[in-house]
Amino acid sequence: MSTPAVELREITKRFPGVVANDDVDLTVERGSVHALLGENGAGKTTLMNVLYGLYEPTSGTVVVDGEERSFDSPRDAIDAGVGMIHQHFMLVDPMTVTENITLGNEPRRRSGLARLTGLSIDRGRARDEVVELSERYGFDVDPDARIEDVSVGVQQRVEILKALYRGADVLILDEPTAVLTPQEVEDLFAVFDELTAQGKTIIFITHKLGEAMTAADEITVLRDGKNVGTVDADATSREELAELMVGREVLLDVERPPTDYGEEALAVDDLVVTDDRGVRAVDGLSLSVREGEIFGVAGVDGNGQSELVEAITGLESPDSGTVSLEGTDIADRSRRERIEAGMSYVPEDRQEQGLVMDFDLVENGLLGSQHQAPFTRNGRIDWGRARDHAESVIDEYDVRPPDPRVESEDLSGGNQQKFVVGRELERDPTLLVAAHPTRGVDVGSIEFIHERLLELRAQGVSILLVSSKLEEVQALSDRLGVIYEGSFVDTVDPDDVTEEVLGLLMAGERPDADSADVREADTPAADSGGGGE
Amino acid sequence: MSVGDRVRDRARSALERLVAASATERALISFASLVLAVVIGTVIVLVGGRMTTCETAAFYLGHPRPFGFPQLFRIGFCYDPVLVFDRLFIGALGDPLKRGWGPFTPFTGGPINPFRAGYDPLNAQMANTLKETTILVFTGLSVALAFRAGIFNIGTQGQMLVGGLATAVSVLWVSSLVSGLVGTLALIPLGLLVGALFGGLYGAVPGALKAYADANEVITTIMLNFVATGVILYLVRDVFKDPDSFANQTVPLPDYALFPSLVFPSTSNFSIAALAFAVVCVFALYYLLTRTAYGYDIRTSGIQPAAAEYGGVDAKRTIVTSMSLSGALAGLGGAVYVLMVLGNYQTGVPAYGFDGITVAILAGNNPLGVGFAAFLFGILKSGTLVVQFSTDVPPQLVGVLRGLIILFVAMPEFFRLIGRRVLPAEPDRPGGTAVATDGGREPDPAAHQDAAASGGEDR
Repeated sequence: MSTPAVELREITKRFPGVVANDDVDLTVERGSVHALLGENGAGKTTLMNVLYGLYEPTSGTVVVDGEERSFDSPRDAIDAGVGMIHQHFMLVDPMTVTENITLGNEPRRRSGLARLTGLSIDRGRARDEVVELSERYGFDVDPDARIEDVSVGVQQRVEILKALYRGADVLILDEPTAVLTPQEVEDLFAVFDELTAQGKTIIFITHKLGEAMTAADEITVLRDGKNVGTVDADATSREELAELMVGREVLLDVERPPTDYGEEALAVDDLVVTDDRGVRAVDGLSLSVREGEIFGVAGVDGNGQSELVEAITGLESPDSGTVSLEGTDIADRSRRERIEAGMSYVPEDRQEQGLVMDFDLVENGLLGSQHQAPFTRNGRIDWGRARDHAESVIDEYDVRPPDPRVESEDLSGGNQQKFVVGRELERDPTLLVAAHPTRGVDVGSIEFIHERLLELRAQGVSILLVSSKLEEVQALSDRLGVIYEGSFVDTVDPDDVTEEVLGLLMAGERPDADSADVREADTPAADSGGGGE
Repeated sequence: MSVGDRVRDRARSALERLVAASATERALISFASLVLAVVIGTVIVLVGGRMTTCETAAFYLGHPRPFGFPQLFRIGFCYDPVLVFDRLFIGALGDPLKRGWGPFTPFTGGPINPFRAGYDPLNAQMANTLKETTILVFTGLSVALAFRAGIFNIGTQGQMLVGGLATAVSVLWVSSLVSGLVGTLALIPLGLLVGALFGGLYGAVPGALKAYADANEVITTIMLNFVATGVILYLVRDVFKDPDSFANQTVPLPDYALFPSLVFPSTSNFSIAALAFAVVCVFALYYLLTRTAYGYDIRTSGIQPAAAEYGGVDAKRTIVTSMSLSGALAGLGGAVYVLMVLGNYQTGVPAYGFDGITVAILAGNNPLGVGFAAFLFGILKSGTLVVQFSTDVPPQLVGVLRGLIILFVAMPEFFRLIGRRVLPAEPDRPGGTAVATDGGREPDPAAHQDAAASGGEDR
């Protein structure tokens, strides 16, 4: 066997008062995909930052390519052939793909006066090099497109190309799928295959079991900063991985007990919403949710889910149609009136909407209830009560660090999400609109959030659940609407439907119709699905 | 790693450190900046003094002469930097300290009492400083409030002028109905109320334009400043002009309609009652922002509009109300200026509104900070006059010193504002800052665990 591409030996990284990595060994074989799996805050990113030269380890050695290394900065790591793609991209939006890839390493002109000054960039050569590089790995990237004009998936590829352009042999990706649509995730994994086929080594950080099993050859699980085991992806199971991650047995399957539905709580009728670009994002959609019912919305992201949710919660005004809560039309009501009427909302974007990043958790716990008793009386906020409330959410939803005075931007994404979900679920709502409630959250907390959702359902709360995780909506929902281009293709019983059928519906096709006809003409199928129920 | 990278990394970490600084640290940084500004100002005064010609030097620099060591050389300067800063700061307070600055003189013996014998804190110079402070508190609060709501109100000057004129005219109009102590008790509150009302209305205009017509408030408020100046010039010259005066001013208000000077010399145009009212406004605004639901709405919309909307805050209403409130504070400033300083309304009111922007930035938009920043500004403004009276230093040079001090003291806050914009607001960010803030606010160890373990970005 050849020398491993990367070997970390007994890495310990201490921060004042805390051990982020505790004596971690990690061996990554050349030409393989290695997943680093763990809960939020298990020390995955810290370990990779050590490998990438961002942190100096307290003790332990980093071996790259059989050679012991000591990286002072990412530049040293890049020189040794280690590249890292962060969760949040480091791209310059108004610049082109080529400019971004070559940034800092631009080829210079070799002739003429320009060579003397050494200042002139050879744009033609830069472009050629980028084209050549992206063709070699089968990337479909337009070298002249501006970053702000391309999708997140393409931006990610630009990041990968940037690392490759700098000569990386080992690519570290931090939660690469967090920002991608399911289709883009598949494309990314195909890119992994292509890269490893050409001898590159990939390490990717994730907390999603399924992705680790699909994409990786080997999986190393971190828990509380320790390596708790490296397993072969083909020889493990979701249950085994979940247990390694959490340290106890985890119920992956949700038990949804039968229940009696009450009155119709939320009714949406013939709703039309135009988005910022003037496109009909929601196109004549109708749905209803009864008390004690979870209505799931499944679909590929970007088919009008966001606009539907925002129109129901009062953040966007619909062009036409009605939204009624417990029999009253609330289409003209303000966001605040809807909150006061008992509508809870777990927003899609926790960092933009769900939390004020500069506020601490006490202040954030108040968001949405700032005008309501018992927190506020006669316009005056009772901060003692607000603090108690934040503490109880932190305690119940296992938000770490458990300190209500910490600012929400100092929490990791998963913990931010837990706090938002906790705040919204504990509002004692009549209707809960939950958009991707478990996005970015680790397995143990997903289990807890699912349990809480079902408890609310048992208490008679109506729940509208939007999620891009198919297994989640399928497991939790009593009825499941499949959305495509702004309207429901079909509403199905989630216990009776196969993933294949759902997949077809999500692509806008109705499997019950003559399949050949539908495939040729999927637009009419979508239109006829407008009536929906 | 190249030198450029190192410099950039250092600059970035310094910026991060600054953004994460605690309140105490910020106060210390501001004080250190003040000291640094004085040091640099000293150099400028010396250089300026070297380049000027004068008959006798005001200040000498020589080497020490232990044991009767002969003086080999010494350099004379036309301006004495010690005296300049002494006048600028100490003079502005009416010379509270002994000659030689009390406790700083060693071997004097006896109990240390820094104060000059016979020092009366209620002196005319102190009154002048506090007069400036009072007006600046109002305009500073006005700008700070708008800032907190995420609005850049440059129109404080215009709102102040409108409020001031409205106060003068309305008080003149009803002053014949009452007189004496009753007049004072009725007319001053009335004047303040009218000033606040008109200032508020004039602030509501750009607020409404921003909320309902999406007009940039920076443009509209600047333009409305010109409108206010122009219209008021017309009104004072042609409509409300005092026929017995050559200047563009209204008829003087009766004495009983003005703020009584109370404990300070009556010639000083300063009333402790007005200052007390300003202090009340400081605390009231602090209370409003931190303790009320409306203040919560304002702060949320100021930092993160999308989150505010999510939390049920009516964005448009908040813009209009906070701009009205901001204008009302500016209007109060104008009213106090008329009722305390001018005694009538005249054109050519100093640019307190624009100084208010600096005061607000200096204070980090914190109402309590506005009190201190306005006092510093007040000292500098009134101290400038003292320096001009007591030294040969030209007023332009004093202006430079004043500018230096303001620039230095405001810079850290300014960079904090920039840092908040530049540094990405990501959950990963604390990976860097949590480690960096160790000396500052000692977060829970678990915060490190989480931040360090989950975060850490290349920056």
